Amino acid sequence: MNQGIDLQGSFVQALIDLGIPAGSAKALWLPLPMVLMLIAATVSIFVVVWLERKISAAAQQRIGPEYAGPLGTLQAVADGMKLVFKEDIIPAKSDPLLFTLGPVIVVIPVLLSFLIVPFGQNLVITDIGVGIFLWIALSSIAPIGLLMAGYSSNNKYSLLGGLRAAAQSISYEIPMALAVLAVVMMSNSLSTIDIVQQQSGHGVIGWNIIRQPVGFLIFWIAALAECERLPFDLPEAEEELVAGYQTEYTGMKFGLFYVGSYVNLVLSALLVAILYLGGWDFPIPIEMLANWLGVSETTPWLQIIMASLGVMMTLFKAYLLVFIAILMRWTVPRVRIDQLLDFGWKFLLPVSLVNLLLTAGLKLALPFAFGG
Amino acid sequence: MLKFLKQVGDYAKETAQAAKYIGQGLSVTFDHMRRRPITVQYPYEKLIPSERFRGRIHFEFDKCIACEVCVRVCPINLPVVDWAFDKGTKKKTLKHYSIDFGVCIFCGNCVEYCPTNCLSMTEEYELAAYDRHELNYDNVALGRLPYKVTEDPMVTPLRELGYLPKGVMDPHELPAGSRRAGKLPQEILEELETAEK
Repeated sequence: MNQGIDLQGSFVQALIDLGIPAGSAKALWLPLPMVLMLIAATVSIFVVVWLERKISAAAQQRIGPEYAGPLGTLQAVADGMKLVFKEDIIPAKSDPLLFTLGPVIVVIPVLLSFLIVPFGQNLVITDIGVGIFLWIALSSIAPIGLLMAGYSSNNKYSLLGGLRAAAQSISYEIPMALAVLAVVMMSNSLSTIDIVQQQSGHGVIGWNIIRQPVGFLIFWIAALAECERLPFDLPEAEEELVAGYQTEYTGMKFGLFYVGSYVNLVLSALLVAILYLGGWDFPIPIEMLANWLGVSETTPWLQIIMASLGVMMTLFKAYLLVFIAILMRWTVPRVRIDQLLDFGWKFLLPVSLVNLLLTAGLKLALPFAFGG
Repeated sequence: MLKFLKQVGDYAKETAQAAKYIGQGLSVTFDHMRRRPITVQYPYEKLIPSERFRGRIHFEFDKCIACEVCVRVCPINLPVVDWAFDKGTKKKTLKHYSIDFGVCIFCGNCVEYCPTNCLSMTEEYELAAYDRHELNYDNVALGRLPYKVTEDPMVTPLRELGYLPKGVMDPHELPAGSRRAGKLPQEILEELETAEK
């Protein structure tokens, strides 16, 4: 298998050649991908907020943001600036410590999850063995923060919203984990790199969505529920709960929730793209094409094209899913809390279990197609 | 066992149906995305109110005979008519007249029934005020005429959908003098009159 561009290796090697010891060369490399990923995550908020507002406007025959920047692209920046300068209010008789800690605990795991999101063969912060499992573990920290925020606000709407958020996150985590488990079983690895690697090389046919259509749907539904997107946005259903656990928040603390929810949406879309839509893999197998044309896989220009194409493919797939999520928002009505829990426990959970069982059976029966 | 299988089959069918409906809904919203926006950029662009628009009520003090018909036909007896009987002329003289537009529902009954036509509807609809008492218009305020949208240099007047030429959906950049679809009311009236002759 072709290893693609090894940025880290080249960077460290270049520094070692300059006379810097190997250890410090590696230490110099370490912050670079992290900062890059943080910047990418932050920029993605602006992109998603803009997309959300423009697509929502288009679906409702409106124009949407127009005046802040070209085509309203800087609207999110303007909103963010406003939030930064707003007074930071901590409501009376609330618990100031938990109130402050809540949004932080919601945001940090989301940003931390970008640790395992690969944009290419070597374009990932760390390729850890438990990759996808780490993400599942991190995503279950968020409900604690939501509950904290809701409980400490000293407000009935906040408390109800927080409780709903916790109930929702916990019940949809299980079908999600089971859907991921089926994929993991097929790839024989928890590492996101390996999962994509196992899908790539055959174009669209190799992607997990072909072999795991049910798993894809379950994962996507559960991901929407985890992100608290419509139709599952009842923790912050404004008609019932004002704004759920966000009711008492203003300024940058509210901004953190806002950032968290949008980054979480991007993260979920990226993970769906990685787990089911072949990550950075191009729909047509390029490597086979290159071999066929007589161009070596290790040709530098081909490698650069493949790497940039890979990043673009990952982002394209993720933003396509974001688009579907936004379209879904204006299509489906919100479910009730009992319908939500019914759907999670009585439908998604058994279906995902059957899906897992079927995958296991198929893996034994058809090992060539299901990664035996 | 068969019963159980049937239950599973029915459940699967229902699920498939639900998925189909969600798909249909998504296609509807997706279809809406290619439609053009119908936005009117409000403070800069305004729609021209139609001729039967029921806006703020205009009142002509000198025409009023203080008969209080407007009060009687009003659903909540809103107009306040302050008059005194003049023994010399044996007529009522009007002292004050006021309507509170914070309470008025613009039903137009008073305008309809006024025997001397001293009440009429205007095109004014921008009645926002900081204090609700400012909405209580006296006879002086009621006598003011609103500013016409078509004559405001700050505003681009836009025609409503019913006043556009046939097949046109966008009121922006209409060629000057373009007629609305169908016949105008006065033309229909003229035709009827000629037909009668």
